[in-house]
Amino acid sequence: MAIQTFHLSKSFGNYRIFEDLSFEIPTGECFALFGSNGAGKTTLLRILATLVRPTSGSFTVLGHDGVTEKESVRQVTMFLAHGSHLYDDLDAQENLRFAMAMRGQYPSHRALKVALDQVSLGAFSDMKTRNFSAGMKRRLALAKVILAQPQVLLLDEPYNALDEGGVQVTNQIIREVTQRAGMVFMTTHDREKAHLVAHRTGLLNRGLLTFSHTDQHPAHDIS
Amino acid sequence: MTFLRVIQWVVWKDLISEMRSRETLSSMLFFALIVILVFSFSFAMDQDAAQQLIAGIIWVSFAFTGIIGLGKSFSAELQNDALEYLQMSPTPKGAIYLGKMLGNLLFMLVVEVMLFPLFVLFFNLNIVEEIGLLLLIFLLATLGLSAVGTLFSALTVQIRAREVMLPVLLLPLAIPVMIAAVESTRGALNAQPLTLYFHWIELLTIFDVIFTVVSFWLFELILDS
Amino acid sequence: MMNRIIRRIQRFKGWFGAAAAFCIFYGLYLGLFDSPPDYYQGEVVRIMYVHVPLAHTSLMAYASLFLGSLWYLWKRDPLVDNMCQAAAGLTVIFTALSLITGAIWAKPTWNTWWTWDPKLISFAILLLIASGYLMLRTFVEDPDKEGRYAAVLAIVGGIDLPIIYFSAEWWRSLHQPLSISMRGVSMTGDILLPLSIMSLGLNLLFLYMLMVRTQMLYLTNLLQAKKGRLLSQVHLTQTSS
Repeated sequence: MAIQTFHLSKSFGNYRIFEDLSFEIPTGECFALFGSNGAGKTTLLRILATLVRPTSGSFTVLGHDGVTEKESVRQVTMFLAHGSHLYDDLDAQENLRFAMAMRGQYPSHRALKVALDQVSLGAFSDMKTRNFSAGMKRRLALAKVILAQPQVLLLDEPYNALDEGGVQVTNQIIREVTQRAGMVFMTTHDREKAHLVAHRTGLLNRGLLTFSHTDQHPAHDIS
Repeated sequence: MTFLRVIQWVVWKDLISEMRSRETLSSMLFFALIVILVFSFSFAMDQDAAQQLIAGIIWVSFAFTGIIGLGKSFSAELQNDALEYLQMSPTPKGAIYLGKMLGNLLFMLVVEVMLFPLFVLFFNLNIVEEIGLLLLIFLLATLGLSAVGTLFSALTVQIRAREVMLPVLLLPLAIPVMIAAVESTRGALNAQPLTLYFHWIELLTIFDVIFTVVSFWLFELILDS
Repeated sequence: MMNRIIRRIQRFKGWFGAAAAFCIFYGLYLGLFDSPPDYYQGEVVRIMYVHVPLAHTSLMAYASLFLGSLWYLWKRDPLVDNMCQAAAGLTVIFTALSLITGAIWAKPTWNTWWTWDPKLISFAILLLIASGYLMLRTFVEDPDKEGRYAAVLAIVGGIDLPIIYFSAEWWRSLHQPLSISMRGVSMTGDILLPLSIMSLGLNLLFLYMLMVRTQMLYLTNLLQAKKGRLLSQVHLTQTSS
């Protein structure tokens, strides 16, 4: 199992986001989570990314406990959040190198160039990201995934601000991750685009999670 | 080894950003210039009074200027939620702390070294013999401010009223540094024998060691859950 | 689902309150009527029986805050966090009171309200740190972070306080030769007994207030949580019908 949760609950102060979520997602699967605004999708994702501690319950990522073995979880996980995590005064290439260095990886110039080309930003590698559009920042974040090759990829609204080409690149990267027996967990409102890659979808509503299958079939069904 | 490289990369990132934007250094410098100007109007000083007061004036300007730099240090990490990325990266948080701390130390020292000649000029100081010692005092005291200041910069940047809370929390805790810095600077400027104020330099060193270690250890609780 | 410790506090806090009241009244009687006036200071010396125990209690209050913060960072028990918050409020009160009684005592004996004595400096900074702690707590928006950040501040402050005291002492010996230091009051039994009983009484009072306040903070949070749950249930039934 890539992700297993056991009775996961989260409340902020007195406000309960969700309660007693237990589910598992196998490796090789892309899972898309839907739900209305404020349903707690992003909060669930932030817990799985070890940014927020669950109020109660526990979870494991590739067998590592999400609270006590945070560092191991972080080694294998990558989370593309709402913010692009870029420093506006660095150029695209420098941003990538810094982001990779923070994961203990030091890609070569060639690798950087290949990654930037793959997200069609090759021409902008020396441009400060301050001048990037929202879609370009998204693409640059995708280049991080190409370089980091994470086992577990968490995506928060990955299709936001992306043009058609960007959506294709995103889905291609998602397929690459699942094909090498990784796992992708995304939240989105865009059912149409998500159905192209997701093997299973879930709906988070009033603290309850319900699952359904799509037409896609997992590449590696380990379970 | 990765530990040292993370420190290097964090310092590199802050230096490159600063070289391009010049935001932190220029705001620190201009603020400090204004402080010096206000001080020189506020105290009409003859040579004797200057000898007594100048060390205090120097360190009040350095401390307030430093707070501006410290505040900017982590507000820069808020752009595009970059702080979040640092939190969930698998690197030791202590390395990130040391990187940020060294960057702050560097910025503050640069400003101090640029300002000090102005003090010498405006207040007719005689510093030829003690210059090396003065630089050591500046380094030790600024390291103390930066060690605690970086921790509280990371803390206050994530709360409301952060511009107010950084000095409110930091300055009372920095009192030993301020006292020791002022006393040893006064000693050096007045060409007193070193034995008279050496214990202040020792105090600065002890403070630096204790609070670098403590902040290094506590930083993870500020940045991480 | 009330906490076991909270129930125990509910049962025993009365005893602490009663013992505190007894010690304080007995100590006040001894200090105000039974002990002799000071040879130099006369009747003025009697404020010592309030001032010195108050100062001891403020240190005790900050010590509980410091240890509680370490404990909270280790165990992350929200009840311990409530205890820390209570201890910080009491630190502010007791420190402010000991500074005020100190000033009242200083005026007739040293002929000044305030002097840059290392103890005075340290207590003034203690007051600043404890007030900063309470301010910090109100400014943290994320409830997950409130206790953690506050604990970090309390620990840094606790390590810093002795250093502040020593640097202030060195600084003072440089600028004010010991001209108006406290002349050693000879500690005979007449003085020592009421002092220690008052100290005991105020420390018991602190513990009593700590229990009451901790209980109050805990129960307030519990109430808010229950209210939040009820409201969300009402909301759910309304939207589903």
